[in-house]
Amino acid sequence: MSAVIEAKSLSKWYGQVIAVNKVSFAAHSGVIGLLGPNGAGKSTLMKLITGQLRPSQGEITMFGGRIWNNFPLFHRIGFCPEQDSFYERMTGTEFLSALLRMHGFSEDEIARRSKLALETVKLVDAADKKIGSYSKGMRQRIKMAQATAHDPEVLILDEPLAGMDPVARWETIRLVRGWGKAGKCVLVSSHILHEIEAMTRNIILVHNGQILAEGDVHQIRDLIDKHPHNIYIRCSRPRQLAELLVAFPDVISMRFHPDGDALTLESKKPDEFYDRLPEVLLKNGIELEEITSPDDNLQAVFQYLVK
Amino acid sequence: MPIYDLGYRHWTGRWTSHPYRWWAITRRGIGMLAKNKRFLILMILSGIPFLVRAVMIYASTLVSDRVPMLRIDAGFFEDFLTQQMRFFALIIAVYAGAGLISNDLKANALQIYLSKPITRRDYLIGKLGILVFFLALPTLVPGLLLFLLAILFKANIDFLREFYWVPGSILGYSALIMFGFSLVMLALSSLSKSSRFAGVNFIAVFFFSHILCNILSSILRTSHVAWISLPNNLTQVGDMLFGRQPKYLSPVWASIVALAVLAWGSLWIIHRRIRAVEVIS
Amino acid sequence: MSVESALVRGWRSVNTIASLTLDTLFWSKKTIFVAAISALIMLLSLLGRLILTYRWIRSPFTPEQVFSSLMSTAVIHFLVVFVTLFYGTALISEEVEGKTLTYLLVRPIPKPTIMVGKFLALIWISTLLVIPTIFVSYAILYVRTDMGPFLEDIGVLGKDIGIVFLALVAYGSMFSLLGAWLRHSILTGLVYAFGWEGIVSYLPGFTRKLTITHYIQSIFPHEDAGTSIAMMIGERSGLLESILTLILLSAFFLATASLILREKEYVLDQ
Repeated sequence: MSAVIEAKSLSKWYGQVIAVNKVSFAAHSGVIGLLGPNGAGKSTLMKLITGQLRPSQGEITMFGGRIWNNFPLFHRIGFCPEQDSFYERMTGTEFLSALLRMHGFSEDEIARRSKLALETVKLVDAADKKIGSYSKGMRQRIKMAQATAHDPEVLILDEPLAGMDPVARWETIRLVRGWGKAGKCVLVSSHILHEIEAMTRNIILVHNGQILAEGDVHQIRDLIDKHPHNIYIRCSRPRQLAELLVAFPDVISMRFHPDGDALTLESKKPDEFYDRLPEVLLKNGIELEEITSPDDNLQAVFQYLVK
Repeated sequence: MPIYDLGYRHWTGRWTSHPYRWWAITRRGIGMLAKNKRFLILMILSGIPFLVRAVMIYASTLVSDRVPMLRIDAGFFEDFLTQQMRFFALIIAVYAGAGLISNDLKANALQIYLSKPITRRDYLIGKLGILVFFLALPTLVPGLLLFLLAILFKANIDFLREFYWVPGSILGYSALIMFGFSLVMLALSSLSKSSRFAGVNFIAVFFFSHILCNILSSILRTSHVAWISLPNNLTQVGDMLFGRQPKYLSPVWASIVALAVLAWGSLWIIHRRIRAVEVIS
Repeated sequence: MSVESALVRGWRSVNTIASLTLDTLFWSKKTIFVAAISALIMLLSLLGRLILTYRWIRSPFTPEQVFSSLMSTAVIHFLVVFVTLFYGTALISEEVEGKTLTYLLVRPIPKPTIMVGKFLALIWISTLLVIPTIFVSYAILYVRTDMGPFLEDIGVLGKDIGIVFLALVAYGSMFSLLGAWLRHSILTGLVYAFGWEGIVSYLPGFTRKLTITHYIQSIFPHEDAGTSIAMMIGERSGLLESILTLILLSAFFLATASLILREKEYVLDQ
């Protein structure tokens, strides 16, 4: 099966800053999560895929054709940008209709598609209100509506869940999964692992403009779990706590800090450790002053992957 | 201290006294603009008229009073400031000032500013300070430097005896330009989230008031209406400060009143617009 | 797709962009300011009319003189430039600053269509704000029980409106180009309009032809002091030469703006 989106040694730089560095990947139909911390290059990559930026080097193609200045391709692409910007004076219906008109649909078809898109994102009640009066979640939903109203084959969604309440978040995740199952190629970006996990198993991990890992999310997670996690604890009686924690089978090492008030330990199963720790502290009357995990972020995950 | 005990903690650092809180805003604003290469180029270009006038002062020592254009008197310094006002000061006011408040409105930064222990007055003075600083650079500073050069090149006590009062006039006229432009620019900047809107409207106020005055003058066949024009008002007061015959028939007090009304109107607009929350009636 | 249907689709897209832009431009604070200036110009003509009617000054001028002064000073030298600068530089810049340009760039329409549609909106709104001002000022000054003078100079009015329209197109296309190309388009536009054109108009020889105002002044039927001095220093260009140059310049500016929009990468600040 040929790839829908294909990047070959794709690079993009602004002056001295390399935003995307020799990225190669192939995206087929289904949902693909583009995961990375802020500043990883996800948005730049999405802008390259949607033809807003021209590659500095390498190539990016969609359905076998270049994207930059290839306007007929945009019949088949829907893009939901990250920024919260609109023509505030327009109503939701007017906004969708104006953008659909540029696709060449007849007025009847525009009305039908607008209605369908608004129903899908549950904005029918607010359709005739000005976008300027919409809440953050409604604004995010109208963005999704404009990306999907023309029924594109490819959907590029940049941080689609930002600003949404939990119910809207769940509904959007459900929609995204549905689009993937329907055979569309849906590329979703986020810096939050569990959001992406809820939508798909296929992810592309991006960091410093490079792809660090690509494939099934569970395989990548297992990779991470092979490396023990560091956990820093500052409390009233660190040595007593250490005595108690050494009994945990997942704790593989411990060291005390020079000031004597804190310890750092390594755990192979951090989730289990966090579940057990509160009971230990309460039972033994140990006051917890600080607990952090230097590993509990994507940076650490990527560092492991880079090693 | 355990986590559950951690609550609001008092600042244990050094407190500055209240009268200088505005300086933080001014200093930051000056620093940011000073890093802007295009703005620096503009400031350098605004020094060209100063160089030309400096050469004229030097040349005047060679030809004495034989060439009227090279006569170094009070009018020489006033003409320099008027020339700067009509172009460089205008462009600098737009470049530096158009976004001073409008960008804060766009970014909802006013709430952040006014949630700190500063008053609206501190905010205004801070912003005013930025513009006044940069408008002083093409007007007051070179004006005084030119006078100093004249003293140095002339090496003649009679010049100083005759024109000892001119630095005061330079200060007065420059202050009029600096504060006049700054207040109007800030008022327009506070009216919109778009710095473009503020910049263009500042130019409109400057030029259209002048055009309006010219048309009325031609209709009414008199220059008694000169007080309508902002640049004419500044020139009228400048003529008075430099002891010259006013160019227009309208009385100088009318120009002073017009400028005062403009300043008061600008302050009123700024007072209405600078607030931490949007009041919806 | 046939050529005809492609043209129809293209026109529809241009129209959609123009309507979208017109709505954004019209319902903005800019329009209030421009309307205020237009109103002041009409008030000036009313003042002139009152002076003429009640003979408030000894040597009354004629309606032609007042109209001439208004047209050459307030309208051509200021209002036209101000309106086109204000709206023209905003066409693309405001979409970039407002981060709404993305919605237009990811549609299946050629990017030059966006530029043409926006330019059309600019011409609509500037015509709407400027031309009625001229007509109303003329009517205020000339309308009497004897409609003779009104009808006598109607040809001049028609010529004025035509030249003003051409000026709107020429300046509009130039400022649209600046807006699409430069980040600080307003300042560059101001320096051009109130700096370059002000100075170069008075220079002799070919240099004066490097301004739009030279060609407009060459075909403008009214004169003011400034025009007279400028015209004394140099020659006017011919009627046909001026009109053709203005049209060609407008086409060139618009084509260049379209090309820039097509090739430039607009990085929307996050």
